[in-house]
Amino acid sequence: MPRAMPRGLSLEQATRRLAVLLVLPTWVLLILVFALPLAGAIWLSFRNETLGSFVTPRFIGWENYRGAFADPRFWESIRTTLFFMVAGLAIQLPLGIGLALLLHRNLRGTAFFRSALIVPMLLTPVAVGLMWRFMLDADFGIINWALRHVIDSPPNWLGARIPARFAVVMVDSWISIPFVMLMVLAGLSSLPRGPAEAAAIDGAGPLAIFVFITLPSLVPVILVIVMIRVVDVVKLFDILFIVTQRGGPGTATQTLGLLTYNTGFIFFQTSRAAALGVLLTLMVIPIYFIWRRVGRAP
Amino acid sequence: MTPTGRLLTATAVSALVASGAAAQEINIYLIPSPSSDAIQSFIPAFEEETGIRVNVTETPYGEAHQKLLLSVQLGQGQYDVAQFDNTFLAPFGAAGTMMALDDYIAGSEAYDISDFSEGSQEYGMFDGESLGLVLSTEPMILWYRTDLFEELGLDVPETWEDYRAAAQAISEAGLGDGNILGWGPNASWWFMTLIWSFGGQLYDADLVPQVNTPEAVAGITFFKDMLAYGPEGGISSSGDDTTNKFLSQDIGMMVQYSGYWGVALEPENSAFVGNIATAKMPLGTVDITHLAGWNIGIPSDAQNPDEAWQFLEFVLGRDNAVDYLLAGAAAIGRKSVLDNPELLAIHPYLPLLDIPETSRIERYPQLRVWPELEKAILDALPAILTGEVEVQAGLDALNEVMGPILAQETAE
Repeated sequence: MPRAMPRGLSLEQATRRLAVLLVLPTWVLLILVFALPLAGAIWLSFRNETLGSFVTPRFIGWENYRGAFADPRFWESIRTTLFFMVAGLAIQLPLGIGLALLLHRNLRGTAFFRSALIVPMLLTPVAVGLMWRFMLDADFGIINWALRHVIDSPPNWLGARIPARFAVVMVDSWISIPFVMLMVLAGLSSLPRGPAEAAAIDGAGPLAIFVFITLPSLVPVILVIVMIRVVDVVKLFDILFIVTQRGGPGTATQTLGLLTYNTGFIFFQTSRAAALGVLLTLMVIPIYFIWRRVGRAP
Repeated sequence: MTPTGRLLTATAVSALVASGAAAQEINIYLIPSPSSDAIQSFIPAFEEETGIRVNVTETPYGEAHQKLLLSVQLGQGQYDVAQFDNTFLAPFGAAGTMMALDDYIAGSEAYDISDFSEGSQEYGMFDGESLGLVLSTEPMILWYRTDLFEELGLDVPETWEDYRAAAQAISEAGLGDGNILGWGPNASWWFMTLIWSFGGQLYDADLVPQVNTPEAVAGITFFKDMLAYGPEGGISSSGDDTTNKFLSQDIGMMVQYSGYWGVALEPENSAFVGNIATAKMPLGTVDITHLAGWNIGIPSDAQNPDEAWQFLEFVLGRDNAVDYLLAGAAAIGRKSVLDNPELLAIHPYLPLLDIPETSRIERYPQLRVWPELEKAILDALPAILTGEVEVQAGLDALNEVMGPILAQETAE
């Protein structure tokens, strides 16, 4: 027998109260692990706290933000982050889509390749980083050993500025292409076959079908991939920590995330790091709104 | 008295007795390393002798110092003994993380501070106080391949010019690369060493940067020049990579901390066991010894400092010095063990740890802002070493960057 409704409440009010009660633990958890730390970071960013000193901390207003904007390392780290985003997507999207199209055709061996190609996604980034660091080593590395059969002086991947940036893009792409491929593959599987078949009957070739029918249909999926990858690059840390050893050579591969880490945990400048963290968060917020808009698109 | 009253009184008396009694356990905080393993090998004997139980927490190097700083700043009293890298002595000193050990040291015959050279005695000192005992003595020394030197009839280099000539000879003979220095993510170790050795300094007494003086430029020009006689991957080699390359490729010489010696003895790590010897680091215009290594001390919030000292005295005291090194620890420069034949068989470089008074001891800058300063140096070096900018111009720019960082040291 159902329990009686609390006296004086309509069914709608009771349902709403129950809903609030059920959602409450989640809200409490979110406030504890997300909102409070974020508020703490914002508060910290307006002070001059450091881990390496017992000097009494005080409120210093926008000083940490002004310091960040005046620091060339901040702007360089943003440029580096953007480079990894653009270069990474320029490689990962075409290759991921290409592989997905191949696997979607169910050729012989597709099942094997479908499994094999997602292996990079399953590996721990630290293990991947170490593996690539050895492979990219100018003296021992298999990559330069192979390249020496083709060119006289292969790039010093981890020792020079530009090659190091491309090395990071290469490692990131190796890990991320399977993700792009799986997403596109899922998108392809959900597409209706009718339009492509009708176009084929009308004489359209495979390229025309792909460019004018398949690709436009995949745009929502591709936009989601782009946004996830953008967020991933903003968060990129472990690969840089291992492969280029905290963003080297010099500052060549130091992203904003890594600069924040270095400032907080290497220099012990907690308040300065908090300001950088807040700026990083502000940079990511627009992506959320774009995401929502894409989600609402028909 | 009511039963409740009797219970309260008994509890209060127990608490009073307990507070006056010696602690029955201590917590020690170690960083995984040969020294940490050696320390732990003494725990059973210490527990048996004193009845004090020892609990160990090991934290990887990458986060160990940050974790200890946080723990002490929160006043948790979690640890009674803590191992730390000497590079963190200044930040720890500025933050009041470690307790001054001077009274303990002065009153301890078992530890016997006079068994150390004067420079080593000061190795754990910050602002006139001993915040840590010496846990390892690791000067930068010359490592060279005896087989290559014999084949070419080369003498062991005594000056940097000898070093350059030997590196050139080995490279030109086609026997391998002439030398390796750490030109990569730990290049600051060699950057400092060469500036000091060529008569320069990183900053003056007023904390004004000095890395663009003629002496500093000469040191860094030498650093850059030697890259031409090094392996291709030298430019990206960390401190560990530098040693690994020296132990696995044909490279004539390396200047490196003695603390890496342990790996040179292991056939699985070294392709040239038996063909590597060590010597004093070549001389520049000034005789300096760049000294590095571990420290160990008592955190300022330790709950059982007396028992902690008892433990340190037991493990690192003079009587156990030989056993401690035989347990695999990185060498400590105690004068009484430097000519021990059993130890010399394992650590042939031990005599180099007896640093003569004529050699000025230099160690990591004892600055709170050192980590940021070091990063600025590491950020500037690749362009200088690869020739993207001239040495003088690159060091001028670095000098500019260092100014505001050093200014933070004294700012509130």
